[in-house]
Amino acid sequence: MTQLLFFNVFNGLIVGAFYALMALGLSLILNLSGVINFAHGGFLAIGGYLAYSLIPYIGFWGALVLAPVLTAFIGILVERVLIRRLYGRDPLYSLLLTFGLAFIIEDGTRFIWGAQSLPFQVPSWLVTPLSDDYFFLTGYRLFMVLVVGIAVAGLFFILNRTRLGIRIRAGTLDLETVSVLGVNVRLLRNMNFGLGIYLAGLAGVLAVGQLGLQPTIGASLIMPSFVAIIVGGLGSLPGTLLGGMLIGVASGITTVFFPSATEAVIYVMMAAVLLVRPRGLLGEEGRF
Amino acid sequence: MSLLKVENLSKHFGSLVAVNDVSMTVQSGELRAVIGPNGAGKTTFFNMISGFLTQSSGRIVFDGEDVSALPATQRVWRGISRTFQITEVFPELSVGENLRIPVEVASGYRLSPWLSRGGEVEVRDRVAELLEMGGLTAKAGRLVGELSHGDQRATEIMMALALKPRLLLLDEPTAGMGDQETYDITKLIRRLHKDHSLTIVLIEHDMRVIFHLADRITVLAEGTMLAEGTPDEIANSEVVQAAYLGKAAA
Amino acid sequence: MQPADFTKQAPNIVVWALLLTMPFWLSHVGGYTELGSQVVVLGLAALGLNFLLGYTGVLSFGHAAYFGLGAYGAGMTLRYLLPSTGMGIIIGTLIGTIAGAIIGPLIIRLRGVYFAMVTIAFGQVFYFIAFRWSSVTGGDDGLTGWTRLPLHLGFTTIDIQNNPVAFYYFVLVMFAIAVGIMAWLLRSPFGRTLIAIRENERRSRFLGIPIDQHIWISWVISCAVVSLAGALFALLNNFVDPRALYWTQSGDFVIMAVLGGMRSFWGPLIGAAIYVVLRDYLSSMTENWESFIGLFFVLVVLFFPRGVLGIITRKVKS
Repeated sequence: MTQLLFFNVFNGLIVGAFYALMALGLSLILNLSGVINFAHGGFLAIGGYLAYSLIPYIGFWGALVLAPVLTAFIGILVERVLIRRLYGRDPLYSLLLTFGLAFIIEDGTRFIWGAQSLPFQVPSWLVTPLSDDYFFLTGYRLFMVLVVGIAVAGLFFILNRTRLGIRIRAGTLDLETVSVLGVNVRLLRNMNFGLGIYLAGLAGVLAVGQLGLQPTIGASLIMPSFVAIIVGGLGSLPGTLLGGMLIGVASGITTVFFPSATEAVIYVMMAAVLLVRPRGLLGEEGRF
Repeated sequence: MSLLKVENLSKHFGSLVAVNDVSMTVQSGELRAVIGPNGAGKTTFFNMISGFLTQSSGRIVFDGEDVSALPATQRVWRGISRTFQITEVFPELSVGENLRIPVEVASGYRLSPWLSRGGEVEVRDRVAELLEMGGLTAKAGRLVGELSHGDQRATEIMMALALKPRLLLLDEPTAGMGDQETYDITKLIRRLHKDHSLTIVLIEHDMRVIFHLADRITVLAEGTMLAEGTPDEIANSEVVQAAYLGKAAA
Repeated sequence: MQPADFTKQAPNIVVWALLLTMPFWLSHVGGYTELGSQVVVLGLAALGLNFLLGYTGVLSFGHAAYFGLGAYGAGMTLRYLLPSTGMGIIIGTLIGTIAGAIIGPLIIRLRGVYFAMVTIAFGQVFYFIAFRWSSVTGGDDGLTGWTRLPLHLGFTTIDIQNNPVAFYYFVLVMFAIAVGIMAWLLRSPFGRTLIAIRENERRSRFLGIPIDQHIWISWVISCAVVSLAGALFALLNNFVDPRALYWTQSGDFVIMAVLGGMRSFWGPLIGAAIYVVLRDYLSSMTENWESFIGLFFVLVVLFFPRGVLGIITRKVKS
């Protein structure tokens, strides 16, 4: 029993790490540009499929580096051509646009790579269990947690220590002032979107090693990411991170005791948070 | 008899002190002007009285009742009604509709799925009366968003008045207006005050308007109260002159 | 009738004339009666959503939940409880409305995109319940083993079970009642407070309108109409599956409202008609119809943000 619980908590942590990675990207874009990117799951899938196609040429490690970058470029392009036009308009329109994009991307990946689940090769030494007792502690899983940890640390480093990051944070608080101070807001939003999509792409490469590669992989991850943002607190990136891990672990634990509520439990958590603390765990007052 | 009593009101935004320990008593039927240099905390002060912001400390007593903890809507129901520095109206509705909404709310119809014939007549008459009072009868069918700044402001004041307030808070009613418009609005406010003996507190920059209208003046500077008195007393106050001229010289 | 009254009434007359005669001309333009019923049912859902979206200015992206609850409520009543189409509709509508009323207080304090995000996330709870609780709901395969039944009115029996035209008119009567109530409410003092909130929330609050309370009522009305549409949808197909609850269904309702024109009363119905016909056509033409639907969303947002009726009203006015 203890082992089962431990297994599921650990599993939950990994799943939570994905949610957090997705949700951090969503949060970045939402906070600076006021856009809920429904296509985020689509970009995650693109990251996974690009990695799949790149591995035969540049290997797993090359794909891990390159696929998220390529995904981010596609994101930057999409922002330039489509999403940019809708800033400052009723948020309804950007919602619908990214909603449509999600359809196009999902169907597009199905068209290019096929509807069936594709095998995804990770280096074999990563797959072997590290211990006979804790068979689920494969190197790959620890590796995923490590990569997510590095990515999150990198993100907070960028936001706190680099010029781009500081501008993103300032813009989130008061876009008008930042714009008056001579910052190119269009470019800032563009780069910020790219950064968010990079995280989605990275989550994509990691996720397919765990969940398998199919066109609907993104759609199944986007709703929990929303919940992570709401639970953690609107407008707070540390909150989003916390929210992601929390709901991951919560659904992991629920799997042990009440498996059929695995998915539903996170929404119950969301309802509880909204009831007790409408702004979310780490959300600031008056952000919405 | 005092209608509004503000006691030791303060507001902090983080480390910034916007309003610091301000007290003020407004008598029933009085027209009080609140003046002060930019950044003196006048609008923050107003926002706390109307319930738009919650005070950090202090009390607001309206007609003998402590309203400090009441949400904005309930203060409106008790008779405190306000306008904003940047005119807040329903730009895509007609002047008549803009007035009709507060009239229906004030008559207790806000949740009604229908109006009786009598109710309809009552509402229409009241709207017509307000249009007349604000000099807006000819423009009743026009969209407010298409009107001049002065007419929009007049509409906003009449909307606040439609609620039959006992205290009217006007935040810079003549801001951004030309001479003619300023004159018209001043005349309107004066009429409301004199003819309907309405208690009014207004924030204003235009000294002509203030000295023409106010019974008493409260001067705020950097969040604290500098002086209070009749227009003559304020005009001759050295403290006030120092505050204004000091600002201008610096 | 005054000429001015006539221009105001003209859209209503045209819409009702088309709806009342639909079974007679639909087949001549390549349609079929079930398609007409589908337009009316989904149009009702879009109109119900628009009560909140277009007239209160509150962005809900999670109305599929209440649509689906209405559908499952009707289906499960007929499957497990009692053989009465009328009771199915009543129970289905009640379940969706009550769920909306309970969830309402948790979300009405949020605004804009945040409201959208929370509504859509809440919708997923019901999806997973329907999906997982398969012993009762049929899970992914959907709820089967029941059909709508003829209406017994005491003096006569209407065979809406086997006669699609009779069922169409039955749906149209339900539609007329719900739409009539909404239109009436929008012209009432209460309806004006909703429009006031849409136009300027701050001003409305300082006119003494308790915003949260009014939005909650509008939300519940909207959920009620959408649940009714859901119940009718289940009866139309004699089937419900979890897709009726899925978040993409919510997006469909929003696009119908936008496509037709959110600011005009009949807009969402027009949007539903275009959307239903287009999807019917695309899915029979190509396997990649989802891409085309997605592209359609993008095109509507970029080129027709005011919707069909929005554009027409503008032209007429100028």
